[in-house]
Amino acid sequence: MSGSETPAITCRNVWQVFGNNADSALKEALSRHETPEAAAQELRGKGLIPAVQDASFDVKEGELFVIMGLSGSGKSTLIRCISHLLHATGGEIRIDGENIVEASPKRLIELRRKKLGMVFQHFGLFPHMTVAENVAYPLRVQGVKKKQRLAKAQEVIELVGLGGREKNFPRELSGGQRQRVGIARSLVADCSVWFLDEPFSALDPLIRRQLQDEFLEIQAKLRTTIVFITHDINEALKLADRIAIMRDGKVVQIGTPADIVLRPVDDYVREFSKDVAKGQHAHVSSVMQPGEHHVYGADDPGLRQDMTLDAALARCMELYEPVPVRTDDGKLVGVVNPADLAAALQVEQG
Amino acid sequence: MASLSKGSIAALIAAVVGALCLLLESSAPWLVKFPAAWVLPATDWVGAAMEWFLALIKPAARSFSALMFYPMEAANYVLSHTPWPLVICATTALAWTLGGVRMALMAVVGLGFVLASGYWPESMNTLALVAVSVPLALIIGGGIGILANEYPRIRQPVQAVLDIMQTVPTFAYLTPLLVLFGFGPVVGLIASAIYAAPPMARNVLLGLERVEPEIKEAAIMAGGTRLQQLFQCEIPSAGQQIMVGVNQCLMAALSMVIIAAVIGGFDDIGWEVLLTMRKAQFGQSLLAGLVIVIFAILIDRMSGTLTQDRRDKHDVRVAWGILALGVLVSAAFWGSVQQPGNYGLFNPVADSVDRGLSSFTSANAEFLTALKNNVLFYVLLPMRIGLDQAVLPFTWGFSWTPMMSLGLFAAGAAAGVVFALRGQMALGVMLLIAAGMLETGISQLPWPFVLVGAGALAWVAGGRGLAILTVVLLGTILLSGLWERALLSLYLSGAAVFACAVMGGAIGLASAVSPGVWRVVRPICDMLQTIPLFVFLIPVLMVFQIGEFSAFLAIIAYAIVPMIRYTRHGLVSTPEEMIEAATASGATKWQMLKDIRAPYAAPSILLGLNQTILYAFAMLVIAALIGTTGLGQSIYLALGQADVGLGISAGAAMAILALIADRMVQGFAEERRKALGL
Repeated sequence: MSGSETPAITCRNVWQVFGNNADSALKEALSRHETPEAAAQELRGKGLIPAVQDASFDVKEGELFVIMGLSGSGKSTLIRCISHLLHATGGEIRIDGENIVEASPKRLIELRRKKLGMVFQHFGLFPHMTVAENVAYPLRVQGVKKKQRLAKAQEVIELVGLGGREKNFPRELSGGQRQRVGIARSLVADCSVWFLDEPFSALDPLIRRQLQDEFLEIQAKLRTTIVFITHDINEALKLADRIAIMRDGKVVQIGTPADIVLRPVDDYVREFSKDVAKGQHAHVSSVMQPGEHHVYGADDPGLRQDMTLDAALARCMELYEPVPVRTDDGKLVGVVNPADLAAALQVEQG
Repeated sequence: MASLSKGSIAALIAAVVGALCLLLESSAPWLVKFPAAWVLPATDWVGAAMEWFLALIKPAARSFSALMFYPMEAANYVLSHTPWPLVICATTALAWTLGGVRMALMAVVGLGFVLASGYWPESMNTLALVAVSVPLALIIGGGIGILANEYPRIRQPVQAVLDIMQTVPTFAYLTPLLVLFGFGPVVGLIASAIYAAPPMARNVLLGLERVEPEIKEAAIMAGGTRLQQLFQCEIPSAGQQIMVGVNQCLMAALSMVIIAAVIGGFDDIGWEVLLTMRKAQFGQSLLAGLVIVIFAILIDRMSGTLTQDRRDKHDVRVAWGILALGVLVSAAFWGSVQQPGNYGLFNPVADSVDRGLSSFTSANAEFLTALKNNVLFYVLLPMRIGLDQAVLPFTWGFSWTPMMSLGLFAAGAAAGVVFALRGQMALGVMLLIAAGMLETGISQLPWPFVLVGAGALAWVAGGRGLAILTVVLLGTILLSGLWERALLSLYLSGAAVFACAVMGGAIGLASAVSPGVWRVVRPICDMLQTIPLFVFLIPVLMVFQIGEFSAFLAIIAYAIVPMIRYTRHGLVSTPEEMIEAATASGATKWQMLKDIRAPYAAPSILLGLNQTILYAFAMLVIAALIGTTGLGQSIYLALGQADVGLGISAGAAMAILALIADRMVQGFAEERRKALGL
């Protein structure tokens, strides 16, 4: 690994086109048209389906990258391109610098055994295997001895809080428990890149929230690179370091949760964040300006960069002048104008 | 007139062609009867080509046959030399593990009956054949299924071949096999393996296709090689569907082994049935038939438990105990268990059945003959040769006059006009056509009318492609000179299917309305579906002797089951919400049935009809054993003379008829399903 310089995942102009002779049709369309929109238009005209169009982005090591979009927007197709369950029709996908679009089948198996893990929306558990056997399966295909792999599986089962359920079959578990098995199975081989395809969408809201929290705890422990798919904006905002929003096969915006909420690029993205309580997701740093302010001493409201807008507004409700923002150890990093705080929350009315 | 529906156009075209044929009958007789000079000697060509081909692979086949001889002898030796207490106990132990007390009891009682009947050695011979042919079929079928799953390119052709193999009548397999492998049990073995492999292949493919995509993806992401994915994840996940395949494979193999007894050479239970039937020892014949039924039910129910989702666990120690008991009993009574064929406890019963039967038939001779003759004279014969020839002073008490023909057509036309005026053009024209067909008889329909009519119907059912296919395939039958026999087959199976549709539909309806009726009907249906085709012949033969009427009854008995099942299933499976919506709108029970359940059930009922048609064709060939004319008879004759050309051609013609009927009904069912948005 070449350190923090190389992104963990790099996608450059990734296309996935479904239909007959998609490969040659895409090449032809790209050579003939300047913009991806025009190329996609031509492909559609030929009866092909450009499910992912010209997607480009980087995911840093240890980053939790969420891809969000409605059903049919191409997000599940995109994650399958990156995990190479689908062979991307065009473009380049690098994992730790290695182009997996061109990887040999043998190398792909090796990558999946050592580096990649995936969790599925409907769990994808093997019905004929017990919980322990399911979890240990990625080790079994590598030829790890039974005793060893079951011991390792036991560790991960404890990690996801399923201790005592090892001998059960998937059909005997609730939805939430099944997804814990799916998570444990994807973690057992110590992957460094973790794909989660709408892992909590099939669950009840209460269970979903609980699993989200536990997922964040696991991530805090493991710090793996994560690509997480969801159609739920609240889930995306809660979990993501950065979010990519997809629409009709195109990535329309990539940004931090605050970017998405406060600076949507178009009406589509704005529509998503409409129902979101912005003050809870955007942080002070997103409206902070560089500058110095010495006036405050005793009545410094004590703003911090990572404070939510709601919390910040509550502290300087009656102030009209710029307020300093400090780090935890008291170092001044910038100022915030209370009027900007209020304005940021009003964005959706604009 | 531009607004005519597709159905009306098709019906009109058929009616016009039919009318033209009738009018020109006297001036152009070739319109009605296909001139012999136009017939191509296709049968001979097929024969020559097949014989050349068979000669080519004969050495390979013979050496394979020699190879198969060993496992067969081994299975035979083991089964016939194992003391019967051990066989019974081993089966019972297996039954216990599979299905607990009930299954074990069934095994004990069933095998006890077999032992007591004195047909134990013959049964073991049959089982030996099954025991060798089933693994063969499982390997072939499983292999085909897996390959078709792995290479999507060959999936379509494989499906097509499996479809055709299912429609080609069983006897038609036998003739070329006979030439290839020579007389002897190996032919039965191979025929049954060939016959039993398709259901296995079909279910393996279906099961693998239905594995959730995410399970397949999970196996890929775990880093499994393709073989690991397939054997560790996909095949076990498809286990239940594959077990359905195993169950069907077993039943097909058993059924075919028994049918193959027709060629003889092996002292098995099917041969026993045939022999006793020929000697008119119906009591014995029934007894041997019952033995077959018992095996069929045991094999079906025992392998059926494998297809169930959650099986109860049964204590294995009990199974070992039962097995140990078998060993002990065998050892203790070693001397006296060596002759299981000597029991014949039921021989007196069989004899008294024979006696009772003769007294029954002689006492009720008048009634039985009247029944038979009524159906023959007033239903079957007019359908076959038309009212103009079937109505004679001897049977109907008067002769058919041209005036009557005119009256019939006038009535048909009048009814047609009434319907046409009420907006049901297609139905009206079809009534007129029906009148014409009743007048001429199915076996004497002018060939241009059949081609055009079938083509038109196919066009309505499945579009231009199906219409062309239908006309071309029927054309080959016409040119090959099998046309008349094909029409005879069409008539008999048509009559049987019609009877099945009416009676089966009514029984299905009654079963849907009243759970009490279903409780009686259901086990009968289960029973009828497990019995090998062959056994259906025994009871009808007992009462009505050889002849077309017996064949007709046997076909109905076999082919009626799917009609009953699908009708009931369609009617009772209406979604609860629709029922509630209708109830809330104030529909009565009858309105609910007529307006809600029946339309919703239509696709399901059509599928039932489809199955019934296929079943009828399958049984038609078997029924040739007890006297039918047509293609079934040709196939059977070809078998006796080892005439490969005739056997294959007649089998192909039969398959064509079945295939066309199948596609048409499927087309209509598909259309209904689409209309309902299913």
